[in-house]
Amino acid sequence: MSIIIILNVLLPFSYAIGLIFYLADFYFQKKWLYDSKRLLVLITILIHSFYIVLRTINYDHPPITNKFEIFSLLALSLCFIYFVLELITDIRATGWLILAFAFLFQFISSMLIEEVYVVPDVLRDRMLGLHVINAILGYSGFTLSAVYGILYLLLYKNLKTKKFGLLFNRLPSLDILEKLSLYSAVIGFVLLTISIAMGFIWLPDAFPNFSYADPKLIGTILVWLVYGYGFIKRFVSNWFGKKIISYSLIGFVIAIASLIITNTLAKTFHSFY
Amino acid sequence: MNFVCISINHKTSSVGVLESLHLSADETEKFISVLKGIYLSEGVIVSTCNRTEIYGFPTENKIDITPIIDQLLEFKKVDGISKNNFSVYFSCGAIKHLFSVASGIESMVVGDSQILGQIKSSFEFALSHEFAGTITQKIFEAALKIGKKTIKETTICEGAVTVSYAAVQVVEKIFANLNKKSALVIGAGETGELAAIHLRDKLIGKLFVANRTLSRAEELSKKVNSQVVPFDKLSEFLHQFDIIISATSSESQIISFEEINTAINKRKGTPIVIMDIAVPRDIDPKVGELENVFYHDMDSLNIIVQQNMQKRIEQIPFVLKIIMNEMVSFFGWYNTLDVVPTIKSLRNFFDEIRNDELDKLKHKVSIEDFEKIEDMSKRLIGRILHNPTVKLREYAESGTKAKEVITNTILLNELFNLENKTNGKANNDENNLKEKFE
Repeated sequence: MSIIIILNVLLPFSYAIGLIFYLADFYFQKKWLYDSKRLLVLITILIHSFYIVLRTINYDHPPITNKFEIFSLLALSLCFIYFVLELITDIRATGWLILAFAFLFQFISSMLIEEVYVVPDVLRDRMLGLHVINAILGYSGFTLSAVYGILYLLLYKNLKTKKFGLLFNRLPSLDILEKLSLYSAVIGFVLLTISIAMGFIWLPDAFPNFSYADPKLIGTILVWLVYGYGFIKRFVSNWFGKKIISYSLIGFVIAIASLIITNTLAKTFHSFY
Repeated sequence: MNFVCISINHKTSSVGVLESLHLSADETEKFISVLKGIYLSEGVIVSTCNRTEIYGFPTENKIDITPIIDQLLEFKKVDGISKNNFSVYFSCGAIKHLFSVASGIESMVVGDSQILGQIKSSFEFALSHEFAGTITQKIFEAALKIGKKTIKETTICEGAVTVSYAAVQVVEKIFANLNKKSALVIGAGETGELAAIHLRDKLIGKLFVANRTLSRAEELSKKVNSQVVPFDKLSEFLHQFDIIISATSSESQIISFEEINTAINKRKGTPIVIMDIAVPRDIDPKVGELENVFYHDMDSLNIIVQQNMQKRIEQIPFVLKIIMNEMVSFFGWYNTLDVVPTIKSLRNFFDEIRNDELDKLKHKVSIEDFEKIEDMSKRLIGRILHNPTVKLREYAESGTKAKEVITNTILLNELFNLENKTNGKANNDENNLKEKFE
């Protein structure tokens, strides 16, 4: 119990230190910062994974029973997907913005998370765990895609307005940012598709009041369609550069708006907390 | 140490003067034979388009560089150049100057690493002509080490410092793989050629050249292995290029806003990078307002050049630190030359005693016992002399305990009567070096 509380307090600091190292390297470009920042993120991922496992064992349910548990999972998945992308591409100059998002999610989670002992039986179901975790990873992919999209637009604007400052010197090329944004969106889309498929199989059995007209279901399908249409345009109609990046950002705004509306305003069977 | 450097360079003279004193390989060979043994006992001549420098040790103890300068002017048959055009450095100053040149901080474009290769080949040339001796060799090896360290440990050589290279740097911020892109260079002049060479070196996928005079376009095209686009049909082909670099001497614009607008529409929004490095501009600057058109001219590229130049200048203190460390290391080695003869004499003195005593014992003990005694005596002398040898070297290397070095050396010589016992100095090349150059 006490270890969970200690880790809950420790995690925002761990993300903050990682963020500081990424920012410092972005500004100062020192070799020791460059070498140590990736290690710090790896340590943070390991601590966070340990925390999630401990929570699951201790409370006997996956940490998806309230918004702030979800936030913590979101921070971890964001950080994890970024870490994998960084390992594959060896592009380390974009981590500061991603870690800033991860830190924000974990900070809110650590501040407001409650110790829930009694949860509905449905929330102890493994299928639900996989369904939700896939959805979270999917949305993390979209978030990452949006972050790269923002960096793309910033660099685009710098190049158009002939500003050759820090962003120009440190960020990778527009081509690479576009690719990173695309890959993250593809990962997000695949995982969201899996989550939706699992939901269609499992939800009608798990919830007696299941309805295909459920706002959360419609919202998620809408997000899926928006991204799906974007991929068709990208691969078939050759949408490039700023056009596809702007579209991807619109998709992300729709995804966030859908999440907020369906979780706070609309009535849904799909609410677990 | 009477090491000298006579230098005429871009800081002291005009390009015309530098050109008139530049020494080709053949001339360097002949001039070495003029200097060698008469004016300099050993040395190296470095001659590039920005500097001609003579390094070496004068044959006489008196340092007079005037005859060397006179010889150079006479050799090149140049009039009207005074001694004021030359910078002269002595001893420590000469070594520091060489190290600074090798590091690139003395170059016209700070951080230009080309000079390192030029120093290396000059040094090798001097070695092959038996002009560079042991100490010169040590000095130049240190200089080359500094040059390499500077490139490896600082960023003084990084960043574009020419407009044409800055243009390529901006292109690389837009496209990741140039080997999948096609580029057009308009203008076959010096700037256009430089841009084409940079693109070729960056392994651009397809390279095209256009020039008002077709023969010049073909000439450049051969040089950079590209294709030629007819100048009068440029607008028909514009949409095919991801990168357009224009550097003509045309007095009026050669590509209009409408032409680029048509090209970008044909490209369905695929980005196009336009570098207008001509003065006056070749392309209507309004094209920069079009989506996915990245237009840059001399003004914007000059910003990058200035920024990179400033960054290079900011690296100079780090380079000076490398130079200083290497100077300490070099003079540490140089100072030990003082004590090498004494250490050698001392070891010889003890070895002689040991051998005498062993000879006396040789027939009085068994072979096995003799071998044991021989080993034991060797170890004994080794242990006795270890501390004095190490201390003496340390004092000498530090360069700050000259008094102790002299006192201890004299004391050792007197106590063991070393000067009369063995003539170590005469037997060792290295021992003679310092005497030779002081």
